[in-house]
Amino acid sequence: MDLSPAPRLPDLPEDPAGGPPAWQRHWHKRRSSFADECHQARAALLDDLKQPALAQQRVLADVIDMSAGSVHWRERGYDVVAGQPERFRSVLPIMRYDDFVPEIERETRTKGGILTCSPVLRWLKTSGTTGTPKRVPYTLHWLLTYRIPAMKAMWGTYLAHHPELLDHPYATLDTQTVREDVYDFVHGIQHQAISNRHPRINTLDWNPPWYESPWFGPDVPSTHEGRMYHRLRHLVGRRLHYISAINPSTLISLRDLIEQHGDRLVRELRAGTLDGHPFGEPDESAAAHLERVLATPDFSLTDLWPSLTLYTCWLSASAGLYAARLDAILPGVAKLPFMSCGTEGVTTIPVDDSLDSQPLAVGQAFFEFVPAEVPLGSLVEAGTPVETLLFDEIEAGREYHLIMTQGNGLYRLWTGDIYLVDRIVDGTPWIHFVHRDGVYHSFTGEKITETQVTDAIRAGLADSGLDLGLYLCGPRWADPSNDDLPGYVVVTEAPEPSPELDRTLSVAVDEALSGINIEYASKRTSGRLGAIEVVTVPHEAITGYVESRRHSGNTTQYKYTPFQQDIDFVDALAGVRGGNRQ
Amino acid sequence: MIDTKRSPQSVRREIVGVPVAGGELALHLWRPRGEAKGAVFYFHGLQSHAGWLWEVGPQFADNDIAFFVLDRRGSGISQGERYDLPDVRTILDDYAAAVAQARRTVGDEVPLSLFGHCLGGSFMAALMHDESFTTRYDAAIFCSSWLGKLHATLDADQLTALAAERGTGLWDAGLRSEDFTHDPRHREFIDRDDLAVRELTRRSRATLLELERVYLNPTRQLPPVPAAFVSGLSDPIVDLDDARATFLRMVGPQAALLQFATDRHYLFYTGVRARLVDWATTFTLLSGLDRHA
Repeated sequence: MDLSPAPRLPDLPEDPAGGPPAWQRHWHKRRSSFADECHQARAALLDDLKQPALAQQRVLADVIDMSAGSVHWRERGYDVVAGQPERFRSVLPIMRYDDFVPEIERETRTKGGILTCSPVLRWLKTSGTTGTPKRVPYTLHWLLTYRIPAMKAMWGTYLAHHPELLDHPYATLDTQTVREDVYDFVHGIQHQAISNRHPRINTLDWNPPWYESPWFGPDVPSTHEGRMYHRLRHLVGRRLHYISAINPSTLISLRDLIEQHGDRLVRELRAGTLDGHPFGEPDESAAAHLERVLATPDFSLTDLWPSLTLYTCWLSASAGLYAARLDAILPGVAKLPFMSCGTEGVTTIPVDDSLDSQPLAVGQAFFEFVPAEVPLGSLVEAGTPVETLLFDEIEAGREYHLIMTQGNGLYRLWTGDIYLVDRIVDGTPWIHFVHRDGVYHSFTGEKITETQVTDAIRAGLADSGLDLGLYLCGPRWADPSNDDLPGYVVVTEAPEPSPELDRTLSVAVDEALSGINIEYASKRTSGRLGAIEVVTVPHEAITGYVESRRHSGNTTQYKYTPFQQDIDFVDALAGVRGGNRQ
Repeated sequence: MIDTKRSPQSVRREIVGVPVAGGELALHLWRPRGEAKGAVFYFHGLQSHAGWLWEVGPQFADNDIAFFVLDRRGSGISQGERYDLPDVRTILDDYAAAVAQARRTVGDEVPLSLFGHCLGGSFMAALMHDESFTTRYDAAIFCSSWLGKLHATLDADQLTALAAERGTGLWDAGLRSEDFTHDPRHREFIDRDDLAVRELTRRSRATLLELERVYLNPTRQLPPVPAAFVSGLSDPIVDLDDARATFLRMVGPQAALLQFATDRHYLFYTGVRARLVDWATTFTLLSGLDRHA
């Protein structure tokens, strides 16, 4: 039920005589304790990484302590593991989110006691496989013991490498967290994204120094563009050091919105207004600087903020395809990765400036692994018991399914994510997300995976001397009136798109995919599958298309996903090249 | 007493079974991480159940109070016929078993308050006067409870007719969420709560009448424990003057009257919730002080 009130006008900045505004007083008051807490959380994480077995035992004991007395565990007899934790994996089954839905439905009525013995404070909203948003239980225990310490540990790493992010109240632009009023409830309890940490649940909830900053609070517009505009209006002309994001597309969007709203920003800086309302003293210097930046072709964010020293976001897997664009808009700026996590829980937390790999967060969940070549999905579907490996049984260089037991009651959850083990350090695996498990699509038994398509596109582009950048791929169903064959369509960015290049790449990618997937090759040669079709578009065309799909309610968590379930994107993007797709 | 300097604690929320005649009822418990310093046993009203107390339970527990709520037979997630109350003996035995279990859980040294809301206050008053109820309690709180409502609103003939009622047709209690709270979120919750009971069989009203008689015509004296009647400044459902008068007659010199600044019926869904929980916490804890020579 939507209970949203009428839109609010922005408040005038508070400026009591004789002192800074309240949000800055909060910033100064909170700065030191925030840094201390982050440092301590990181130190605790580093301790865990040196004694991973101890950390995993502690987590398992805690999970059992919180769930053995729950209604669900007692009904199923799982509480037997309270005295025999070594039986945990043999007694409890591997689960999918959908397997938990009946218990979650019960828990929505009781607000705790069904899956764990901790109060459910919120339901976390994330997309589900059927289009119905998931309800991930956000319990008090999970908040206090796991989710907030994980955030603090990650920020501890950022602070250790870049203490300047706490230099002054305008030093950090944090877009990874938002504060939005919530109007969606499940039996009285808020249903919201994990990235929305509003309102604070208690004094131990997430509370960075900028929590009360006027561009961070719930009074800014909830639309992506509106929120970004407010952030810019507050921070253009300031000595900004650091921009925090989850998805790289957010950083690119920030730069694009500066270009899009630049003239308005200049006017408002000069007039001392925000959205036309009185806002503060006119800032002629900032307005003039922004004007000069806007006149610079292909300006970067460092042109606008020469003081920038750091940005953070996801940098591996498909997010890594943004690398070239990020280098262009943030030249010379240091980067650190965001943690590997989802709404369901944290998997890795960065502890240094490694961009491609992070240590398994052994204090966050009880982790199990299954070699990636095992068809885990079908085994779980059939209810077949599956042997799993623990953190100290997996090997560097191999890929694994990830199964995790979190302190929120979702035990032995098959995440559907495949991770590659990069190395083992002090007994702790360093891993990175590779791809989602399973078949991306299959028209006629070819069962292609995302990795296979990605590798084929990369190989095809390399034949033409091109690097892999952003792309979209979708299945094109056969038109029965046209006697054609089903097949796949890929749209990819290229420096000089052309029909000739399209043809060259289509042949090369088709050959590469045939070499990678013999079933694909078989279906192609037997006339059951059409050749993959590659369409090239100019740089930034896909970025623009992806941004056009971002909307209110998904602004922070919206992410670029190369693999689509239809080919609506093809017509939208072919138009960028003048509609001359052939 | 409460450590006022500590951080919020990871309180526990549990649902345990209470063995009763014919099966098991759900006893909900919110409790502190460590030892409880006090306990509150809550009697819910007609339509509510423990699932309504997701904000109240954790606050009590964070105050070091173990907070118990029995989903009455036929209510919440407990078993039992919906919309139909069993006989008085069964009801009182159910509650006596649950309060005894709560007492065993927290131990004899911990002060235990009984807290009845609305119709729950009538169940609680009847239990307090039931001679077979022997569990020690240390304080009693009646919140927005119209004690003796049927006797106050029906004439002699109507009372006689109601006492003889054996019908199973449903009687609509006429409860409206706007009388409970002004808050849109809580109103939406009440309106959509598929566990709520808003109707009763006609014979169940005869049971309610019989419960009233247990405390309006008492056969035992209440223990000399502090008791309070708590309400808003006004109440759209309860005649507060009549309710307070009945309360004072029943409790005598142990009585205190307290009002919080709201005009709605369900105080826990108004702005006074946190203060009411904190007040009930101190009321409970202080009842455990050893003032004997």
